[in-house]
Amino acid sequence: MNPAKSYAHLFSPLGGEGGENYRAPGQLTFLRAPHVPLETEALKAQSARYAFVGVPFDEGNVGKPGSEDGPREFRIASQEYLSYWFEFGVDLYGLAVDCGDVPMPKVNPDSARERIYRAVTTVLKAGKTPIIVGGDRSISIQAARALSDHIGTGKKMGCLHFGAHLDLADSWAGEKLLSTCALARITELPNLPAANVAHIGARNSMNPKDYIDLAKARGLRFYPMFEIYDRGIDAVTREAVERVWTGTDAQYLSFNFNVMDASAAPGVTATEPGGLESREIVQVADIIGERKTVSLIDVTELAPVFDVSGTTSRLAVCTVLRLMAAMARARGELVDQRLRRSDLTAAE
Amino acid sequence: MSEAQTGWQHVPHQHRGPHQHEGADDHVYSPKLHNGTFKSQGIATFMGAPYCPPDRKAIRAMGAKVCFIGVPWDQGQVVRAGTSQGAAGIREASTQYFPYMFEYDVDLLTFFRVVDCGDIPVVPGNNTKSHEYIYDYLTECLHGGAKVVLCGGDHSVPIPGARALSDFHKNGTIGYLHVDCHLDAAPDWAGNAFTNCSGPSRALDLPNCNAKNMVHMGSRNGLNPKDWHDFFVDNAVGLIPMQDVARRGVVECTKEIFTRAWDGTDGVYFSWDTDSIDSSCMPGTTAPECFGLKGREIVQLARTAGTFGADIMEVSELCPQFDVSHISIKTAALMIYHFLGSRAKTLRDRGQQP
Repeated sequence: MNPAKSYAHLFSPLGGEGGENYRAPGQLTFLRAPHVPLETEALKAQSARYAFVGVPFDEGNVGKPGSEDGPREFRIASQEYLSYWFEFGVDLYGLAVDCGDVPMPKVNPDSARERIYRAVTTVLKAGKTPIIVGGDRSISIQAARALSDHIGTGKKMGCLHFGAHLDLADSWAGEKLLSTCALARITELPNLPAANVAHIGARNSMNPKDYIDLAKARGLRFYPMFEIYDRGIDAVTREAVERVWTGTDAQYLSFNFNVMDASAAPGVTATEPGGLESREIVQVADIIGERKTVSLIDVTELAPVFDVSGTTSRLAVCTVLRLMAAMARARGELVDQRLRRSDLTAAE
Repeated sequence: MSEAQTGWQHVPHQHRGPHQHEGADDHVYSPKLHNGTFKSQGIATFMGAPYCPPDRKAIRAMGAKVCFIGVPWDQGQVVRAGTSQGAAGIREASTQYFPYMFEYDVDLLTFFRVVDCGDIPVVPGNNTKSHEYIYDYLTECLHGGAKVVLCGGDHSVPIPGARALSDFHKNGTIGYLHVDCHLDAAPDWAGNAFTNCSGPSRALDLPNCNAKNMVHMGSRNGLNPKDWHDFFVDNAVGLIPMQDVARRGVVECTKEIFTRAWDGTDGVYFSWDTDSIDSSCMPGTTAPECFGLKGREIVQLARTAGTFGADIMEVSELCPQFDVSHISIKTAALMIYHFLGSRAKTLRDRGQQP
């Protein structure tokens, strides 16, 4: 037990600070984390492991709009959780900072893409793990490019993607950087071997033939939902994680929440029936969490306007927090189980 | 019959702008050079299929093997209204999809030469007349040599629908499948024998539809009065309640009902009510009910049904306006897509044409 650290936040509100900030956060940040400017030096001064960055960008979208409101709702949903996770015996307090949103110019997508790239690069240079919340899936192109450039050509990265669509259009009506081109661009990165790429959850009819042809041409392994029906999510996730983590120096983890069944995630831009159920994405987070660390996490395609009950953003937050918790446990960062609320009362 | 020998042709709608049509199969690929057929749909038809008048000669001339046809009718039912918008919802949802399905490696549009026959006319306040139109239009499609995807509309549409199929196969017999939360076996409802409460009852009245070729699947919960259940017991009509589907698995149960419906028959009417689906996956339906089919069970049912096929596949009781997240219309569209995709794969694997 570290006597310099306050433990009050581990328990239900005792009054004082802990009681004040539940659902009254003052500043709206991811997990009530402190806001830190998006600058490498400012971030370096922080002990946090993760830096949250919102990317309200919806101009790479070919379908239903609405994902630019994703970061805001994600932050709001994160206020509903506390930092202690009993299933893992860990405390997420202090693990993250919130760098706000990447400022978006609107109607200038080229400029916006460069800003996304720079924002992710800034976080990586500070030695933090970016948690990027979109925004449409096209932001993954910039995030992955930033990670690839950051580690340099001498090292290898892996990519694990969850989504209903393969997003393997070489171009879409002549455009090369839309959400539908995401995996096509990412798999062109020089230090991402095809052997270290895995895609989970492909299904239904928004996967035109050129996606499949490109996947074959590049030797990409994708695990369609039909395979998950047969083999189960546990076996498939373990195999995919093994591919992505084997022999790589950095790992990029990307969640397009349309991987979920439409019933579990109605608030995404392109709902797709036949996807993962809530308890399966929880399993996924727990399995990936065994790997201790990841280099970059992104969450895309949340569309709060369709999420009337707020369940989709909450599921997305829960998935990310469980992942963080599982990784903290795997690193051995456990809360002393002997600590009791009465210890705090006695100390006061 | 090749595409060139028929009148069927898929014409992308862009005639101006940077559009470059590369070939007949363009639509199975994501937009590469042309002006984004994805959101700019031109005339909104099901699957972007060409329009064909619901006339047997026109259908034959186009060589269509699947006709999509809508019924904007919700005055044959006793619960909340709204299903008249169902077909429009499916057409809209289909604009978010390509006709190519990688799971079956098939282009539905050209394989079946799908056409959209528009909507069947309905007469407000007159269930009898509306049903006559449904009977007449379906008869045209069947005599045109096509299978039918019928989108309701309330669940009274299988009454004229099954009658049309029965008369089409008047020298043989037909099977009748009813996948629904509700048993719909009322002799009548407040004196009306042709509402959404009497699908199986009226099917059994048909001269060539026998109880041994009829099954109901997915029934559950408290909107199933005793006389509805007695109908199945007294007439020995097949019944697989939802609790049995949950226990045995949807694939096995679907195989059983289709095997029974096709046993010795010349055609099958497959009526699939959207309220068979769990309310979490299908909030946009006339009577949403818990404890129904879940996301992947819907896909598995459609996929398994496609291995058997049906003359008329009907999706009914879809009410888009109760679903603020728009998940129901896409699910309903996918019920049809997976059914057709699996059907196409089955036929192709056997070396058969549709």
